[in-house]
Amino acid sequence: MNIELLLALVTGAALFGVGIYGALSQTNLVMIMMGVELILAAAMVNLVAFWRYLHPDAAAAQMFVLIVMTVMAIEMAVGFGVAIARFRAKGSVEMEEAAELKG
Amino acid sequence: MSAQAFFIGFFGLASVWFGVVVFRTHSMMRSALALLFSQTALGALFLSMQAEFLGVLQIMMMATEMSIMAIFMVMFMMDPGGLGEMDMTHQKRLSLAAGFVAFAAAVAAAVFVDWGPVASVAPDAAQQTHDLGVELLGRSMLIFETAGITILTAMIAATAVAMPPVKRIRNK
Amino acid sequence: MSLIASAILAPLSAALLILLLRRLPAALALLGAGVGLLASLGLLVDASHGIGSALILPGLPDLPLRLVATPLTALLSSLVAVISSLVLVYATGYMKQDSEKPRFFATLLFFVSAMQTLVLAGDWILLLAAWELIGLASYLLIGFWYRRSGVRSAATRAFLVTRSADLGLYIAVFILIASAGSSDIAITLNTDGHAAVAAGLLLLIAVMGKSAQTPLHDWLQRAMAGPTPVSALLHSATLVAAGAILLIRTAPMLPPEVLLTIGIVGGITTVVTGLIALGEPDLKRLLAASTSSQYGLMLVAVGAGVPLAALLHLIAHAAIKSSLFLGAGVFQHSRDSTALSDLAGVGRDRPRIFFGFALAALALAGIPPLSGFFSKDAIIAATLASTKAPILASLALAGTLLTGAYMARALRALWQGSGKHHDIAGLGWMGAGLAGLVTLAIILGAAFPAIETLLGVRLPENTLAQVLGLSAALGGLALGWLIPVQRLLGPLLPWARQGFALAGGFDTWMVRPALGIARGCEQLERQLCAGVLAVGRLGLSIGRAVLRGDEQGIDGLIFSLARGTVNLGERARTLQSGLIHRELAVTVVGTVLIFIPLFIILLIF
Repeated sequence: MNIELLLALVTGAALFGVGIYGALSQTNLVMIMMGVELILAAAMVNLVAFWRYLHPDAAAAQMFVLIVMTVMAIEMAVGFGVAIARFRAKGSVEMEEAAELKG
Repeated sequence: MSAQAFFIGFFGLASVWFGVVVFRTHSMMRSALALLFSQTALGALFLSMQAEFLGVLQIMMMATEMSIMAIFMVMFMMDPGGLGEMDMTHQKRLSLAAGFVAFAAAVAAAVFVDWGPVASVAPDAAQQTHDLGVELLGRSMLIFETAGITILTAMIAATAVAMPPVKRIRNK
Repeated sequence: MSLIASAILAPLSAALLILLLRRLPAALALLGAGVGLLASLGLLVDASHGIGSALILPGLPDLPLRLVATPLTALLSSLVAVISSLVLVYATGYMKQDSEKPRFFATLLFFVSAMQTLVLAGDWILLLAAWELIGLASYLLIGFWYRRSGVRSAATRAFLVTRSADLGLYIAVFILIASAGSSDIAITLNTDGHAAVAAGLLLLIAVMGKSAQTPLHDWLQRAMAGPTPVSALLHSATLVAAGAILLIRTAPMLPPEVLLTIGIVGGITTVVTGLIALGEPDLKRLLAASTSSQYGLMLVAVGAGVPLAALLHLIAHAAIKSSLFLGAGVFQHSRDSTALSDLAGVGRDRPRIFFGFALAALALAGIPPLSGFFSKDAIIAATLASTKAPILASLALAGTLLTGAYMARALRALWQGSGKHHDIAGLGWMGAGLAGLVTLAIILGAAFPAIETLLGVRLPENTLAQVLGLSAALGGLALGWLIPVQRLLGPLLPWARQGFALAGGFDTWMVRPALGIARGCEQLERQLCAGVLAVGRLGLSIGRAVLRGDEQGIDGLIFSLARGTVNLGERARTLQSGLIHRELAVTVVGTVLIFIPLFIILLIF
């Protein structure tokens, strides 16, 4: 078992756990987005680690990281757009107060 | 223990530490900065794993992204400075449990899975970048273009969502 | 317009005019009756010169309606017209205080015209129609004061009794028309054999109903509930007379056995109702019973085979009985009562009226030279001459005796004693009508030979009959005047007061069985109804069971499925809070729950 790979994967796991905690526990939309950023970052760490230690010749792995970065950017952009709209309408982005989608 | 392992451990620890700080501080400003540091540490982690292009890209992207996020924090938070010591969390125990379970599961998977032979040598930075470019403009071109179109669409959509409703004046 | 038609139409049009104008009813009524009277007298004069007239109207196919003026019908028509005119004169005074004069005079005139139709009818169908019309008119007149208690039931009883007896007339008429092939009365009189016997007996039933013969005599006394002029008219020349007129007209057809039956029925009636009259405490009811009795005498005459004697007595009785009733009406107005005890001594207060009344009473009893003597003499002579003389003559003499007795009793009750009386309005009109009728009652006897010549029939002469009749009448008068009725009737008195009801009379013999049959029919109908309802209910319950099966089986299954789905949805709905963190938590927990089995599978394999 390669110690570097293990360290990287454990780092990714820790980031993933922290991100899950953040996404679940925060009341603010922006903070929830931070949690999601961390989860995506954990995915990137894993992808880079797999590239480096398992398939160093596969450029597609790096390509995958780029796609995840794109997803992060899109997430940020759409998230902030929604945040602005919500703030304009309600004066707050506290998600405790947002139950309009209740079925 | 090699130097690579040390750096991976160090930057990993740093990024996890700053990630925890994101949700521990009451100041939004600090949260955003902590996330920025966490992502930067990740960039450094990528560099130490010899993924030079991705590392640099990560640091550059996250620097801008997180500064934008900091601005939004200040805009939207009720208490950006965290001086009120307000508790901005809920369902804390469930979140903690979920975080630990996820962490444990991921660690278990990392530990118990047989990853097979590990490559000791990675291509150098020039070769990497060359391979990535060939990949992007060759086999994965469709995916790359789709990602570009998607991000453009997201930008336009986000702008449209964020724009204030236009009051239409009817000429009569 | 022919005289026949005007005799009928004059009163009828006057009645319609009264109903239309609603004013001057008495004058219009007198006018109509006067025109009718002139027409009738014209008919009589024509008939006496041997000129008969007939009016044929369109009727049923091959059965035209006929009005004929033979000497007999012209005589009867004149009688009806004379009596009704005088009664109308009287009624003008009698009804002066009444508020519903138009209705009274119109109905009375309608009655008169119906009666004229009856006597002038030349065919059975028209006679039947007129017969029914006088029944209706009498019902209306008896019930004229319909607001008083008992009046309605009296009217209904009169109507029902005469109506049910009328069935006999209907069947008789059908038999006659069927056997003779024509509805002309003159032609059907040639019927003989069994048809004649059957028709005669059935006619007798109708006559018993109409002329109030025992045992159907009860309704006539109750009919006293109507106004007195109505009673006078009913009892003298119209309603009750219709029965006797029918028999007199059909007498040539009747076979001997039927004649005997008629004679016996008449004889029994004259005795029974004579006894009732003797025991009667009410003046008008006494007179009513005496009417039945006198008509019984007429039936005896018909039964003896001398219808002319019956006709003469009918004529004499019409004048006499209407005089008596008119006098009784005056007394009634004076004392506001008709009970003999209330009327005690009223004769002294109204001597002139009482004089007329007494003359009429003596005429009825058969004292010469009043008209009743001649007619009664004719009847007794007829009975003595008949083959069944012992029966018929003794019954006729008993009737005569009783007549004298009850008339004497009435006179005595009216003359003796005293009471308070008050002045009454319209006495002049009433006196005029009464005077006219009493005059007729006195002098009509002189007209009898003329009638005999007119009809071309001679009466049997018999000195023995005159002696017997006169002695019976005088004996009766003496008995009635001298001996109180309690002694005279003895134990029969209470029974007589009940109208000689045989073991409850009508109520037992007719009403109760009829009601019993009706009740039985009702029971049967109820049970049929219950049966039908039960079938319906069975069908309903089957339908309900099927419905329940449908609802709780098929529908229930489908509904429970739908309800289960809805409930499940409701429960799933609680998971959807709409809050992002909740949704995220659900996602995470769900993912974990999915991964746990995957891990286990991974560890096992």
